[in-house]
Amino acid sequence: MKRTLKAFIRKEFAQALRDPRMKLILFVMPMIQMAVFGLALSSEIRNIKLAAVYSPGDVAAAGLTRRFISSGWFVPADPGRARDPSGLIVSGKADAVLVFPVEGFARAAARGRGMVQLLVDATSVTRARSVEAYARNIFAAHAAADAGLEASSPPFGFDVRIIYNPEMESPMFMVPGVMGMIVCLVTIILTSMSLTRERETGTFETIVSAPLENHEILLGKTIPYVVLGLANAALVIAAGFLLFGVPVKGQLWQLFVASLAFVITTVAIGTLISTISKNQQQAMMGGFIFLFPAVLMSGIMYPVENMPVLLKPAVYLNPLYYFTSLLRNIMLKGGDPAAFISNLSALFLMAVSAASLAYARFRQTLD
Amino acid sequence: MNGFDIHRSAAVARKEVMHIMRDPFTLVLVMGLPVLLVVFFGFAIDFDVKNLKLAVYDRDNSRVSRQLVSVFDSSGYFIPSAVSSPSRAITGLDSDKFSAALLIEPGFGRDVGRGALARAQFVADGTDNSKAMAVLGYLPGISEAALRKFGGVTRSDPVPLKARYMYNAELNSRWFVIPGLAVIIIGLLSILMTALTVAREWENGSMELLLSTPLKPAEIIAGKIAPYVVLILGGVLFVNLVARFGFGVPFRGGIPLFLGGTLLFIVSALSQGIVISVVTRQQQLAMQLSMISGLLPSLLLSGFIFPIESMPVFFRYFTMILSPRWFMEIARGITIRGAGAADLAVPLLALAALSAALLAAAFKKFKRDLEP
Repeated sequence: MKRTLKAFIRKEFAQALRDPRMKLILFVMPMIQMAVFGLALSSEIRNIKLAAVYSPGDVAAAGLTRRFISSGWFVPADPGRARDPSGLIVSGKADAVLVFPVEGFARAAARGRGMVQLLVDATSVTRARSVEAYARNIFAAHAAADAGLEASSPPFGFDVRIIYNPEMESPMFMVPGVMGMIVCLVTIILTSMSLTRERETGTFETIVSAPLENHEILLGKTIPYVVLGLANAALVIAAGFLLFGVPVKGQLWQLFVASLAFVITTVAIGTLISTISKNQQQAMMGGFIFLFPAVLMSGIMYPVENMPVLLKPAVYLNPLYYFTSLLRNIMLKGGDPAAFISNLSALFLMAVSAASLAYARFRQTLD
Repeated sequence: MNGFDIHRSAAVARKEVMHIMRDPFTLVLVMGLPVLLVVFFGFAIDFDVKNLKLAVYDRDNSRVSRQLVSVFDSSGYFIPSAVSSPSRAITGLDSDKFSAALLIEPGFGRDVGRGALARAQFVADGTDNSKAMAVLGYLPGISEAALRKFGGVTRSDPVPLKARYMYNAELNSRWFVIPGLAVIIIGLLSILMTALTVAREWENGSMELLLSTPLKPAEIIAGKIAPYVVLILGGVLFVNLVARFGFGVPFRGGIPLFLGGTLLFIVSALSQGIVISVVTRQQQLAMQLSMISGLLPSLLLSGFIFPIESMPVFFRYFTMILSPRWFMEIARGITIRGAGAADLAVPLLALAALSAALLAAAFKKFKRDLEP
């Protein structure tokens, strides 16, 4: 490597790390974010505020309500002054209300008539669905317990086995996703403004007049960020392992290669944004326009596999989607070669095309 | 020294408007981007877990076992495809090709026919715990449908449970997604816009110029914020029109209340932007901080998708310092539930308190910054 290039890279490192606040943002914030999001996030619906309306003295209804609470999904709602069932929902005092038949639950069951109504606040669709599913399960279990054992073992059923994450723990799924997001965020914001900034402050001219080739300038501007991004990836992966006990069932080199490919892709995309933008404000907007959809379509917010056919290509253009899949596969499933190669080649393809686009744009701006 | 002069503030606002006009890019962005993103993700986000690729290894290959597979197929949740061995099914799960596997041993059909305890093995990928949960939730319905198909008798509950969904009877997930998306995009844009414009003034040195004029900090802040408030309100209006008429999301509450909440929210976000810009005084750092304090927390901790009630106690309290969390509740409450001021007293007060605190912080930071 040429000495000037080395010096240039050194300068770029020094510039990126000069500000102590930048060091904080680069190395401390990601850890805090990992801890917060890893601990806080779970898509499981819990602590559903449940109220029950039944005639006084209805022991069977009270028993079933207790079963709901002891299931762990529901917590008793504080009814306050509201008495009518829908009023409880409208005022937000309860998320769900069980309304038992007036004649009494046991009586209705004996006569085989009447029904139990479950009012659900459907403002949140996912929550409403879960509430109904939980309620049906509890209902079925209750009925089975009442009818004795024979009803609970029908002539046909499934032996269910859950693999990779048998306890179905949320962090196992969330942590690799959050890791990808953090690395993506850091690399994009670092690089999307770097060239624009040099141009705006006029220091770009100085760099251009240095004895460096075009590609060397670009390399000097990007290599430091690739290194910083990799350091960041190593940091968050270590945190996921140590803090959350997310295993790494695959090979470490797979994690390294995946992170390298991803960081190169995002640095190239950031540089591309930087070469397109006229000023830092535009660069920032460019960064936002990339980051927002990338994070939403990474696969942890909603099932991206079900997106409408017309919009699906957007997922296939999202490097974060591949990186998250890679991380999850390597950490939880042991890094299956087929999945590793297909996701990696998608990232590689993106890295190459983004880098060549950035290079072409960069030369154009120089002339 | 006299007090706040609205005319001087208006002059700053005029200057800011000229800045915005000179760069139509910003204008187009603030008005167009929220609509674009809301339309795209309004169509894209669907929480239904369906079309799951199911590996089927049917060694029994009897009429009954084929019936079971067809029940999976016609449920709409699964897309079965046959594999030649159980290990193929597991490799398929390893490589993310399949989400679940159904393994049927020989003698399954005979057992069902005899009324003996017949079992089929179902293997689910637990990597995505919420998806696995949904998949497991489908199984009771499937086994019931299968039993009916096999000709067995199914037991029905003496007292059936009937669910009634309030506010969103058809469980249209767009009603849930679109108001939430609007909150996040509007909040983020507000933070980013101000953080950058003010940071730019510091970076260019033109802030010093502004400060050397008789302008007071309060007048500068008010003047700089006002045009963006108007711009972003325009964006909000646009987004709501698209939501109402493009996606059929209801608007059941009062418009004045919604407008009041929106204003409070915008002020809180803009103040956050000012605090960031005064602290950093540099555009790159300002963007870093805005993204870190804006993007992920508002996407992940505001209750937009991940339910706040499910968080550990500490984080449930922690989310209270995030203004999008409160406005999310307000926006969804007003549009979907038609909630009034009394129902939303807590989130409204919290949002007002947060806005006031952030605005005060912006003033204080700004003032302290002036002293040598």
